[in-house]
Amino acid sequence: MTPLQARSLIWVLALLPAIVAVVMLRESDLASPEAVLNYLGRLTGIAGLALMLAAAILSCRVPGFDRPFGGLTKLWWTHHQLATAAFLLLLAHPILLTLAAASVSLDAAVATLLPSGLDWALWTGWGALLLLMLFLGPGYRFFGEPDYQRWKRLHRLAAPAVVLALIHTLYLARTLPWLWEAVLWLGLAALAVVSILYRFSWSRRFGRRPYRVARVVRPANNVVELELEAEGPALTYEAGQFVYLTPRDPSLVAGRGEEHPYTLSSAPGETGLRIAIKALGDASRAIQDIAEGSRVQVEGPYGGFFPQRSSPDAPELWIAGGIGITPFLARARHLAEVGEPVDIVLIFCVQDEARALWLDEFRELATTLPGFSLHMHYFYENGPLDSTFVGERCPNVETRTAYICGPGPLLGLAQKVAHELNIPRSRIVTEEFDLL
Amino acid sequence: MIQKLTFAAFVAFWASVATVLALSALAPDSVASDTDALPEIDAETLAGHASLDDCWMAIEGKVYDFTDYIPKHPTPPSIMAPWCGREATEGMRTKGYGRDHSPAAWAMMDDYLIGTYVD
Repeated sequence: MTPLQARSLIWVLALLPAIVAVVMLRESDLASPEAVLNYLGRLTGIAGLALMLAAAILSCRVPGFDRPFGGLTKLWWTHHQLATAAFLLLLAHPILLTLAAASVSLDAAVATLLPSGLDWALWTGWGALLLLMLFLGPGYRFFGEPDYQRWKRLHRLAAPAVVLALIHTLYLARTLPWLWEAVLWLGLAALAVVSILYRFSWSRRFGRRPYRVARVVRPANNVVELELEAEGPALTYEAGQFVYLTPRDPSLVAGRGEEHPYTLSSAPGETGLRIAIKALGDASRAIQDIAEGSRVQVEGPYGGFFPQRSSPDAPELWIAGGIGITPFLARARHLAEVGEPVDIVLIFCVQDEARALWLDEFRELATTLPGFSLHMHYFYENGPLDSTFVGERCPNVETRTAYICGPGPLLGLAQKVAHELNIPRSRIVTEEFDLL
Repeated sequence: MIQKLTFAAFVAFWASVATVLALSALAPDSVASDTDALPEIDAETLAGHASLDDCWMAIEGKVYDFTDYIPKHPTPPSIMAPWCGREATEGMRTKGYGRDHSPAAWAMMDDYLIGTYVD
C-alpha cells in the first residue's frame, strides 16, 4: 500500500457517515434556506465527529502500522489534518443550526445554541466542544509555544471529548436511519476505544521492552550516544527507525519516566541498541547525564524513512543537517555490515567542522564502503545549500532518490534543491520530528 | 497557514456566540409565557384546523398553530399533515426513527403557542 492509498483509506473511513448522510439527502433538506442551513448544521456535526474518531483511531501507535503511511511522523500529520478538519466543522456545526433556528425566532436560536436546565443533549455537545478547544488549542499555538509534556497530558482530554460528543450525537441524531446511526457510530467508536486502550494500557504493559544503559559515548559536548543492552527479548528494527525511550534513572533531573522519541543510530545486526540524543529540551538535556547501568524502556520501532530492502538497488542522495545525520549513520553502519557495493552520495550540512558529528566514522566509511562518498557542506564557509553545490558533487543526480533529514529550514531548502536538480517529488523522502 | 485558519475560526465562533447572546439580551420579549391568559381550545375546535393550510396541534396540554412553520420543518409537509387538528404529543415525542425532538425543537414551539388544550 502506498502512503497515498493509506491516507485515502483513512479519509474515506472518516467521511463515511457524512457520505451516507449526503446519499440519504431528502428533498425537504433543500426546501428553503433555513432547511439547507439546518441540514449543513447536522452534516458538519456528523462529519466532525467521524473525523474526530478517525483521528483517535490513528493515535494507537502500533509498531508497523505507521509504515504504509510513510512513517509515524507522516501518520501524525494525517492525524493532525483529520483533527483540524473536525475542529473547523464542529465550530461551524452549532452556528449553522442556530442560524437555521433564527428563521423561527431569536428565542428559538438561543434555545438551539445554549442549554438550559438539565438539557443533557446540549450540555454534552458544549462539553465536547470546550474540551476540543482546550486540548487542540496548544497544538495550533493559540497560547504560544506549548510545553511538550503538558501538551501531551492535555491531549488526553480527547478521550472525554469524544465520549461527550458521542452521547450528544446519539441523543440528537436524526439524519440517518437508526440502524445506520448505530452501526456507523458504534463501529467507529469501537475502533477508537481499541486504539486508545492499546496505546495507554496494552503498549505500556507489554509494548515497552526493558533495556539497561551499558555505556554512554559523547560524540560532542551536547550529544550522547547511549549503548543499550536488552534485559528481555531484543527489539527488531530497520536502519533509520526510531523508538520512544523512557529512562528510569532516579538521578535524572528531568524527564524521568517520560517517553520521548529518539532515532536509533545502531545497525540492525548489532547485539544491542544505540540511540543518539542531542540536548534540545529539558528531558534530552538531562539525559546527557544518565547513569551507566540504569534502566530504560524502549517502545517501537517506528518510522519508515528508508525502504525495507536491506541494501539499495538504485542510486541515492543523502542530505543531512546537524543531528539529522542519525538515521544516515544507522543506515551507513548497516550497509558496511552487509558489505555490498552501493551508489550513495552524502551531503552533510553543518555550521563548521567542530559541529560535524561522527565525522571520523563517516570518513572511515567513505574509504571502506564501496560506492559511498561523503561531502561536507559548512554553512559558515559555503553559505546556504544550493543546487550548484549538490550538482557539482553528485553525478547523475536526477536518477537518484533523495533522502533528507534535518531541522525544518534545511528540510525546506534541501527539498527545493532536489526539485531544482530534477529529482521528481515521488523520489524525495523527508524525515522530521515535530510534535511526536 | 493552518494555525491562522483555526485561530480565525475560533475567534469567529466566539464572536457569533456573543452576537446571539447580545441580540437575545437586547431584543424585547417576543412571547407571552403566561399560559393563564391564553384561550382554552377544545378537541372540536382543534379538529376544525386539520389541514396543511390551517394546521393546529395539541401537544402536552397546549395548542399550537403550526401553519406558518410547516414549510420550515425539516421533513416533508406530508409527515406533519396527519397530526394537524388533533392531539400530537406522540408525533412530537417519536419523530423520525422513533426518537424525541431535540430540546431546541421543543423551545421553538413557544413561538406558535395559541391556547391551552381542554379535552
